[in-house]
Amino acid sequence: MKRRDLFFMGLAGAAGCRRAARRLYVYNWSEYVAPETVPGFEREFGVEVRYAEYESNEEMLAKVFTGNSGWDVVFPSNYFIPPLVENGLLAPLDHARLPELAHLGLDSTPWDGELRHSMPYMKGAAGVLYNPRQMDVPESWAALWQSRVKGRITMLDDPADTLGAALKKSGLPLNATREEDLARARDELIRQKPLVRAYLNAEARDQVMAGDLAAAHLWTTTAMQAMGEAEHLRFVYPREGYAEYCDCGVILRESRNVELAHQFLRYLLRPEVGAKIAAYSRTATANAAAWRLLPAGLRENAALYPRGEVAARGEYFATLPAAAQKLRDRMWTEVKAA
Amino acid sequence: MVMRKWFLLPARAVMAALFVAPMAIVAAYSLLTRGAYGGQGAPWTLENYARLLDPLYAGIAVKSFWIAGVSTAVCLAMGFPLALFIARARSRKALWLGLVTLPFWTSFLVRTYAWMFLLRDTGLVNTLLLGLGVIREPLPLLYNDSAVVLGLVYGYLPFMVLPVYAVLEKMDGALLEAAGDLGARPWEVVWRVVLPLAKPGLAAGGVLVFIPCLGAYLTPDLMGGGKSILIGNVIQNQFTTARDWPFGAALSVVLMAMVMALAWVARRRGGEGGLP
Repeated sequence: MKRRDLFFMGLAGAAGCRRAARRLYVYNWSEYVAPETVPGFEREFGVEVRYAEYESNEEMLAKVFTGNSGWDVVFPSNYFIPPLVENGLLAPLDHARLPELAHLGLDSTPWDGELRHSMPYMKGAAGVLYNPRQMDVPESWAALWQSRVKGRITMLDDPADTLGAALKKSGLPLNATREEDLARARDELIRQKPLVRAYLNAEARDQVMAGDLAAAHLWTTTAMQAMGEAEHLRFVYPREGYAEYCDCGVILRESRNVELAHQFLRYLLRPEVGAKIAAYSRTATANAAAWRLLPAGLRENAALYPRGEVAARGEYFATLPAAAQKLRDRMWTEVKAA
Repeated sequence: MVMRKWFLLPARAVMAALFVAPMAIVAAYSLLTRGAYGGQGAPWTLENYARLLDPLYAGIAVKSFWIAGVSTAVCLAMGFPLALFIARARSRKALWLGLVTLPFWTSFLVRTYAWMFLLRDTGLVNTLLLGLGVIREPLPLLYNDSAVVLGLVYGYLPFMVLPVYAVLEKMDGALLEAAGDLGARPWEVVWRVVLPLAKPGLAAGGVLVFIPCLGAYLTPDLMGGGKSILIGNVIQNQFTTARDWPFGAALSVVLMAMVMALAWVARRRGGEGGLP
């Protein structure tokens, strides 16, 4: 046999393999499944899952927006669903193939109507983690504007979250787009800046635990990690309201495995699978049936699953028009440059 | 001469593929319009450059130049004596040089975090000073401009020491003896003989330190705790949270133009081909 023929046979073989081996490409946030979640799916369905993790929406979107990322299933935050749909990057969810969507306990979301393209997966919010030995309960955002806490608080290093906190403090909507509202939030943050030790995200966790900080504006996921290791810490949602987000499973239009991708979402929707993920990651599941299976301590956790009047104060981040995004970036840069 | 052309080909190809082409893409992006959700496309526009006329960004540029300038000055003040010491050392030169480059063995990020552990309230320095009773309250060592300068000086000091050392190492020791014999005091020898001889090295080191400091974003972010913003951070924000790649590209082009102008000036004034 000539060498060239061998080469072509190899090609044919490789092409055949690609078709035969059922392989799913899943790209998810870090710590967003339990250790047994993906192996369990591989075993049950006799497939291989290539699973990778990201730390920010931007990291994932930079790949997905090319339309040729190679991933089948990704988990964007709710406010990125409308742009993904509008750019034709998502495959519609086939509800006939996803009867388990009923486990979610909701039929529609503000960002995606009747779940046409996205399956709510995990929820989060931003509130205040504080050390009761160092300060009283920060019932209002104003507690983070008192000179008493000077140098002992941090705010999130994220324009949407931190402008959001200042907007809420001023009684304005989280997703404000008007210049005068945003200017007011900016002025509040500039006024607060001398009191702020730093603008930190996850790094604030260790400093609250070490007692360097009296309070930190933090995401529930990070706060839960801190409270797990330092039991005296508390988490509160200030009374003026707070920001919420929901990471959702979506199937990309570029996927050549739409059927298997649906199977994977179905699997994640199973209450016992969802409960294991929620218990392992200590993040709030969006699946009501999974929530019911959680141990009572986790199920009643007020940081993860705010209820009643507290839950009513939460507001979801929304997709904002380009002009508003530009304006917000400018206001944020002004705060940082002040 | 024909051979020379061929020998340069690989280097030229690498420069074209990995430097010129990406730069051209950045320049092209800087003339596009930001899409509604962070993509970019037509029409072609100069608006991204017009936005830079805003005094807000001028202020940030001034601050960046100031921080980079202070860091370079500190590197000069620390790097010159150190380079002179190593160049004049009778033995263990290799050891001293090895120690200067030792930090490169681990990632810059890890080393910056190490500094944060040293400087924070419950860090080594404050714990030690509190324990010795020197201070009552922890000193605010982290999350301010001094911490940023410290981080930059620490990170880029070797880039000052090595070129200065390279120049001083070639210096003829007889010149120093001659200066001494002719009545120059030690500080005069350093000031009037060594320093002028070290000038090309100092110019090269200055450029090697100043330019990366000007575009730094990691150190100001980590050591400054996000409280001060330099050009590098504004650019980084455009490519991440703001999702405004064209504006980020325009900022990059302007930063690069400033750096090139600066390198050109340094080259003209440094003389004697001190720069690579």
